[in-house]
Amino acid sequence: MAKFIAQRLLSMLLTMLIVSMAVFLISELAPGDVARHILGPFATPEQVKLFRAQLGLNEPLTLRYVNWLFGSDWRASRLVGHPLVRTKDPRSGQVIWWANVDGTLTRWKMKDGKIITYRRQQDGTVEKDESPFTGWKTDPEGQEYFWGVDTANHATLWKKGVSEEKVGPASAGRAAVEQTGGVEYIPLQKGLLRGDPGVSFRTGRPVADTLFIRVRNSLLLAGIAFVVVMPLALALGVIAGLNEGKLIDRVLTIGGLTTTASPNFATGIFLILIFASWLKILPGAVVLLDDKAIFQNPTMLILPVATLTLIELGYVLRITRASMVEVMHEPYIRTAFLKGLPYPRIVLKHALRNALMAPITVIMLHVNWLMGGIVVVEVLFSFPGLGQYLLDSALFNDVLAMEAGAMVMVALAVGTQLVADIIYTFLNPRIRYT
Amino acid sequence: MTTRPSRWKKIRESLSILWQSKVAVIGLIIVLFWVFAAVLAPIVTTYDPNAEDAQARNQGPSAEHWLGTDHKGRDLWSRVAYGGQIVLVKWPITNDFWIPGGVAIWGVLIALAIGCTLGLLSGYYGGWIDEVVMRILDAMMAFPTILLYLIIIAAIGASATNVVIAIMIAGSPGIARLVRSLTLDIRTRDYIAAAETRGEPGLWMMFVEILPNARGPIIIDAMLRVGYAIFSIGTLGFLGLGLPPPNPDWGSMVQAGHQHIFTNPWGVIWPTVAISSLVVGLNLLADGLREETLRYQ
Repeated sequence: MAKFIAQRLLSMLLTMLIVSMAVFLISELAPGDVARHILGPFATPEQVKLFRAQLGLNEPLTLRYVNWLFGSDWRASRLVGHPLVRTKDPRSGQVIWWANVDGTLTRWKMKDGKIITYRRQQDGTVEKDESPFTGWKTDPEGQEYFWGVDTANHATLWKKGVSEEKVGPASAGRAAVEQTGGVEYIPLQKGLLRGDPGVSFRTGRPVADTLFIRVRNSLLLAGIAFVVVMPLALALGVIAGLNEGKLIDRVLTIGGLTTTASPNFATGIFLILIFASWLKILPGAVVLLDDKAIFQNPTMLILPVATLTLIELGYVLRITRASMVEVMHEPYIRTAFLKGLPYPRIVLKHALRNALMAPITVIMLHVNWLMGGIVVVEVLFSFPGLGQYLLDSALFNDVLAMEAGAMVMVALAVGTQLVADIIYTFLNPRIRYT
Repeated sequence: MTTRPSRWKKIRESLSILWQSKVAVIGLIIVLFWVFAAVLAPIVTTYDPNAEDAQARNQGPSAEHWLGTDHKGRDLWSRVAYGGQIVLVKWPITNDFWIPGGVAIWGVLIALAIGCTLGLLSGYYGGWIDEVVMRILDAMMAFPTILLYLIIIAAIGASATNVVIAIMIAGSPGIARLVRSLTLDIRTRDYIAAAETRGEPGLWMMFVEILPNARGPIIIDAMLRVGYAIFSIGTLGFLGLGLPPPNPDWGSMVQAGHQHIFTNPWGVIWPTVAISSLVVGLNLLADGLREETLRYQ
């Protein structure tokens, strides 16, 4: 058993590695210049060039993949020669990188050919030091250079006498290009695996913070829907299976087929039309003013949950029905009837456990489908969850946010399937892995 | 000429299977309705699908506008009928040039070609080819489909051709898995051993000996996939990743109508009904066919 779980874990890791490559390649190979997109149409070519360098887009693809997955700070730290530290502004959530020079958090910037040093004091304020810079090192060709952390969160290479490029005003379009006068840049991030997928181009805040809240919201929505739909679908499926061929079975099967086959958004739209537009008894959208509003006004969740329920209901119902019908035709059930056992006892004691085996695994394997439903429901009701976040990121071309969201979603899907496999081995005593 | 009549007879026989399932016939009627509406769109509609009429906005169904008008005063029946064209009848490559066969159908056909090739290769040869192919396919299958569509369309942009590409990428792993399992089964049959003894080359073995004998489940699977592709195209349109406006696209119509749902429910009802009924129709057809073919085996 332990060996089986270890084997499955290993193959899951391999799958996730290939998935991460696929996600990275698909979003990186997209045509169009990310830097140009963020800066907007009015940025000068020089600004775009500088910004590309600052984003690390000039580095080779494999190195960017490593940066994205494992972080770039360990590589940059070797160049700078000091450990690198990340602090977070408690109010704005903005991330600042520092070099830890003998216990003092330090950053640098080059202006008019001179290096300015910024030191963080114990109370959190920053002291600016414009006295002549003494940290230059000399390379074999006699060029004085210095690797440090600049004020825009890059590890930066400065060279003395190599003039900074004049690229016009520092701000263009939606984002600002901060000139720190460097020659080479390595954007600093801890990497996806260490919980830092980078900073969102759209909001300027760390992706991880936003993503955490969004995933929590989505899990809440999916969890409530799951709790509602499972007992309902299993019960209806068992009823349909026991009444095979009768009217109630026909109604439930055709109803199930219709709700499964009609697109998720269609189900949601009909619910909005009936309950929000026509009867006017439920809100047709989810409006959350802050992170906790979701717990204060639960009526907003009724329609999204109902939509998800209808999406899932039909599928589970049909599987349960098929499984129930099959079990009721088994010889051992006939034997139970012939023995004269009472009907409820046959159903509850003999048939049910075997009949529920198939649906329970199928439900867990069905999580990919449920995720499709969640994305659509979130967009339909403007629910601030993972799906909405992914769509917004995709529409804005916010590559880092989209990659991180995609990885979280795939990890959730793969993880659920692993759990399903393990549960199944416990449920079904006939399966033993050696 | 002696083989011809028997082939016709075969086709007639397989059609008669269709007629014996009530469910399949209902499905076929629904699907044919939309195919005819889409093919004959210029004949059965009186308005241009993109013509805006400021005098007739947000109207309900009437004798003039059978299904009513949307928030820009465009005739909904025209838009719904022309919207079916992109799904079922034509794949617009550029603005003026299109090839027959809808986006959903071409997407599934290309996915079939790729999926069958991969599945046959990995099922027939086995060994490391099988290992590598199945590893990659497993990773592709780990993606929730909607996510795969989302990142592909976000990366390459929204257009009819890119939707075909997305359907192809999302569909081929599942088809490859199915074809592989069928191949593994068929490979053990006697006629395969006979062909191998004759010294037939690998390509012949895969595409002439194995593939035709696996066609039944593949065809039914493909039919369900066309339904799912229509479903996905609708979802993409609804998410704002479908065909660029003002082209009549069912999903985009739902998205636009959703914004005006409280003033004009008709703008969102009809395209929703169109997608739902077509997908349900395809599902009924496939389900009915599967049940009937199973009964004969």
